[in-house]
Amino acid sequence: MGALWAEAGEIENAILGPHFPPKAKSVIFLFMCGGVSHIDTFDPKDNKWAGKIMDAVGFGDNLAEMKRPVIPCHRTFTRYGESGIPVSDWFPHVGSVIDDIAVVRSMWCNESNHFPAVIETCTGHRGRQFDHPTFGSWISYALGTANRNLPAFVNIGRPSSPVQLTGGYLGATVAATPFNAGETPIPNLLPPKGCSASERERQMQALDELNREFRDTYAINSDIAARARAYELAARMQLAAPQVVDFSDEPQHVLDLYGIGEKETDDFGRQLLLARRLAEQDVRFIQICHAGGGNGRWDAHDNIESHAPLCRATDKPIAGLIRDLKQRGMLDQTLVVWSSEFGRTPWSQNTTGRDHNPKGYTVWLAGGGVKGGTVHGATDEVGYKAIEHPHYYSDLHATILRQLGLDYNRMQIRVIGRTMRLVEDGDGPIREILS
Amino acid sequence: MVTNANPERGGSNRLSPCLLAHPIRLPWLTFCAFLFLLVSFSSPAFPVSTNKDLKTLWVLKPVVRPEVPAGVTQSTNPIDAFIATQYRAKSLLPAQPADKRTLLRRVCLDLTGLPPTPAEQEAFLQDTSPDAYEKVVDRLLNSEQHAVRYARHWLDVLRYADVDDRMLAAPGIYLWRDWVIKALNEDMPYDQFVRAQLTGYRTDARTQITATGYRVPAEPRPEDLFALGFLARGGSPSNVKDDQELAISAVETVSTAFMGMTVGCAKCHDHMYDPISQRDFYAMKALFDPLVLRKVTLATAGELFAQGKAQEEADRKRAAIEGPMNELIAPYKKKLYEDRVAMLPPDVQAVIRKPEKQRTAREQKIADDYYPILRIDPEKIEEVMPEDEKKKYIEMRKQIEPKAGGRRRGGGLAAFWTVEVDHARELEKSYILTSGNPERPEKNHEVEPGWPFAPSKPDFHEGRVEAFSDWLTAPENPLFARVAVNRLWQWHFGQGLQKIPSDFGLLGGTPSNPRLLDWLAAEFASRHFSMKEMHRLMVTSDTYKLASTASSEMAAGNAKIDPDDTFLWCFRLQRLEAEPIWDSIFTAAGSLDLAVGGPSFDIRSRGEKRADKEEPDELAVDAHPSRRAAYMTRGFSSNRDAMPSFLQAFDVDDGRVPCPLRTQTVTAPQALFLMNGEEVDKASAQFAERLRKESGGDLKAAVDLAYQFAISRPPSSSEREHALAYLENDPARLKNFAWLLFNLDEFVYVR
Repeated sequence: MGALWAEAGEIENAILGPHFPPKAKSVIFLFMCGGVSHIDTFDPKDNKWAGKIMDAVGFGDNLAEMKRPVIPCHRTFTRYGESGIPVSDWFPHVGSVIDDIAVVRSMWCNESNHFPAVIETCTGHRGRQFDHPTFGSWISYALGTANRNLPAFVNIGRPSSPVQLTGGYLGATVAATPFNAGETPIPNLLPPKGCSASERERQMQALDELNREFRDTYAINSDIAARARAYELAARMQLAAPQVVDFSDEPQHVLDLYGIGEKETDDFGRQLLLARRLAEQDVRFIQICHAGGGNGRWDAHDNIESHAPLCRATDKPIAGLIRDLKQRGMLDQTLVVWSSEFGRTPWSQNTTGRDHNPKGYTVWLAGGGVKGGTVHGATDEVGYKAIEHPHYYSDLHATILRQLGLDYNRMQIRVIGRTMRLVEDGDGPIREILS
Repeated sequence: MVTNANPERGGSNRLSPCLLAHPIRLPWLTFCAFLFLLVSFSSPAFPVSTNKDLKTLWVLKPVVRPEVPAGVTQSTNPIDAFIATQYRAKSLLPAQPADKRTLLRRVCLDLTGLPPTPAEQEAFLQDTSPDAYEKVVDRLLNSEQHAVRYARHWLDVLRYADVDDRMLAAPGIYLWRDWVIKALNEDMPYDQFVRAQLTGYRTDARTQITATGYRVPAEPRPEDLFALGFLARGGSPSNVKDDQELAISAVETVSTAFMGMTVGCAKCHDHMYDPISQRDFYAMKALFDPLVLRKVTLATAGELFAQGKAQEEADRKRAAIEGPMNELIAPYKKKLYEDRVAMLPPDVQAVIRKPEKQRTAREQKIADDYYPILRIDPEKIEEVMPEDEKKKYIEMRKQIEPKAGGRRRGGGLAAFWTVEVDHARELEKSYILTSGNPERPEKNHEVEPGWPFAPSKPDFHEGRVEAFSDWLTAPENPLFARVAVNRLWQWHFGQGLQKIPSDFGLLGGTPSNPRLLDWLAAEFASRHFSMKEMHRLMVTSDTYKLASTASSEMAAGNAKIDPDDTFLWCFRLQRLEAEPIWDSIFTAAGSLDLAVGGPSFDIRSRGEKRADKEEPDELAVDAHPSRRAAYMTRGFSSNRDAMPSFLQAFDVDDGRVPCPLRTQTVTAPQALFLMNGEEVDKASAQFAERLRKESGGDLKAAVDLAYQFAISRPPSSSEREHALAYLENDPARLKNFAWLLFNLDEFVYVR
């Protein structure tokens, strides 16, 4: 689990940001674990290739060149909003806010299997030869926390890999703190059942008294002073965190917006409402992992229709989040990003599912200074390779950093003699989608 | 009123000093630029390379046993003489000796990781004989629990892990831990300890001569098989015969652990300041290149026979169902298969339709590549079957599929992975690998097996690792003893004489007391590398027995000269590591299980594993939370959290690479664990119950006892007053009071 968090300026050698005036204060990063099919969601292709055999590579680690059958897409696409951007019938609610969204259809990364690709997309580096931190940790490291009672980097939902939470060589202080959308958002946050608040209060007082002689004796030892501070922070968190997860002050129409109380959307809706509440408290980077664990449930090899329930579970909450942020005037300062480790292939290695496709896939961004109603980049006519404005995944990192007022070139640290960078490759921010 | 505090280093938010020892292959934390060290290389008795750059390495200078300074201290322990000489030179005044109770808690937690019982405290106070302390030290060193504690230290350095995605040897790896514990318990000499882990033999007597004059391999001691878990730990599952990870991990660990040099960074590139070249790294890797993993089944002959029989039985049952089942699905499967083949391009179809035996290697590759497309999964067959047949098919499959959660590897018998030389690999050439990538050997950069500082023509006739191991463990090797005694020193005093224990190079700095380090190294060799004797020597020194506080006047004076307490004018206040914190909690609660040996246990029975409910945790073998924390599962996994958050919160490394020095953070999650953790709550209840029983209902006695259990001393009068005020004469409040003790600063610090 994540450790405590550092306040801005408290980390030695921090790359103190912002480097220029930021557009966004917080990022809500929605990560769909397992690989969403761009072809069936935001990157429509006509079915003229369906049933045809095309040159491809094997499944997973089998990178042999081979021929494979393209499978048809059974979705219907509707053009939404003033921008008229087509969105499939799996995401009608997201379609209804498409004018706030910039769709980038030309992302790519190198790795074609889940864990390597998750690691590549979250750290900007392939493999784990070095203990590279996840993207959110860099932000936490560069900006520190803006809220003394809550962490700068929070993760909600089970990730595909613990690497998505790691502070790596930046240290545990900047790692993700996992929050659950339940009663206990952080492990050990609340006293055990049967422990009354007033009793705990008395205990804390008694603890102070009983610690006094020791603390006086070792007064100059900074670790002892830090321990007193750690207890204070723990106590502040005990107060602040439950308030964040307590939705009793949310009116019904807001709960409805997120689909809370509806069977299919309740879980994810709660997670997104929690995300909004964390953003309100100035948490900088809120990562939400959907359908994580193992390969991720978006991994639709057998049947692409297994996307359907996952789309239903996320569509309404996501649109609700964007609407809610907008009606509160928060969308301008909150960057919402939707992504996967990779997309899916036009063909199948079985009959009705799709394979992993890192060569061309879709991410989208909303709010936080992004030009809504935009489509940028394109894959080829079958949906395999990014051919127009291809962007290496690090460009997404660079874009998010820019909106937070951070120069991606300055996101580097010397770790005992070697310069480690968040962004090693790519072309920098995707300027075409920024307003 | 002052301490050993290091004001720069504190603070809850600092970057870990363990960054230095962190899982990054530090490029120049290696031997870089020893150049600046002034000691010149004087005609060594020990054969080492004459590489010009290396001539100035002080660590390679032969250990010349320094004269013990005379007339500087009343102590008869030579350590104190070397330390006192520095006090004198730097005008430092040492603190007073620690009081008996403080010293007892310190040495108990240090040597065994467990606090002294009230009875032990009482006995020590009562014992006024001059060797009362020495008797305690001997008792502790002879305890098996000492071996558990120090094995944990060594296993950090040797990158032990229970879980690692890439570790084929994971099942049974704990037997290596058991071996280390046994070795320390019987005080196996350090050279034997290292040799056994490198070669499976404790000594260099690896061959013997038969009556008829043939030289044959000598039988190693049977249990030393488990020592090779050290090398097997690094092997990856990709392909046993092709594995490069084993050798790479061996170089990184051996160079760090036993040579005090982090060579790992030379894997990818030559550093400009780095006299260790990429070539040296891969030369060292070539030592280990011939090694491959081998699985050893741990079973009696009877068990093996029984297993064979059971397998046969299972196969027969399976076959009885499989036959009719295959008949049942044959027509459907064939149709589906034909349909799929028909989809393929004609040239591929031709290959697929060829009988396997007639395919060329190239064609077979094509067929294999298309296997995932042509594989007909049972679900697809079900789709096209009529309902009644489908039901039958599902029923049959249920009967032959292994039971849920029963995907055990390697049958039902216990196994251990060891290493052995593969003679085919021994004949292969070794190359520099681009970026350390096994798939990118640089065929124009061949390397010969060797190691940094090796003599020009090592004698490999008994094997590569054997030659290296003989060189490494030779009593004359100055590196070997210096690095080891420095680690032992660090574990007792909180900081090595050489501050960064795995970098005897420029960035490691020079030792704070080079003469003492050399004297200890010489002493270690002359005492036949007995670690227990070195422990005894260190913890019975006056230096070890100093108080961790000094009068404010003295402290202020000393702090001006030596603010970091580098020269040990007082004992350093140390935060307990994760394991002794856990053990102390359950010792106080009276429920710590002191059993030694066996597999690891996982405490995540509830909270943390909730998220994992879809995927049952294979490693949650034993939810027995009151075993010593040295047995708590640890490691690294890319798809799930392999370590309990308790260990993570208290800075335990994941064992991916050697961790010679743990980070010591002070964080809010640590506070939350002690405040709200389920385990602490449970232990508080047990502790309270124990206090009630043992105090006979007298709350004042209960308070005194509680302090003795928790922090090995009675309360001061004001502490007693506060405690009694809190208890309000109500025995029911003892549980909350027990909680207070677990949350005291003093509970997690050794003074």
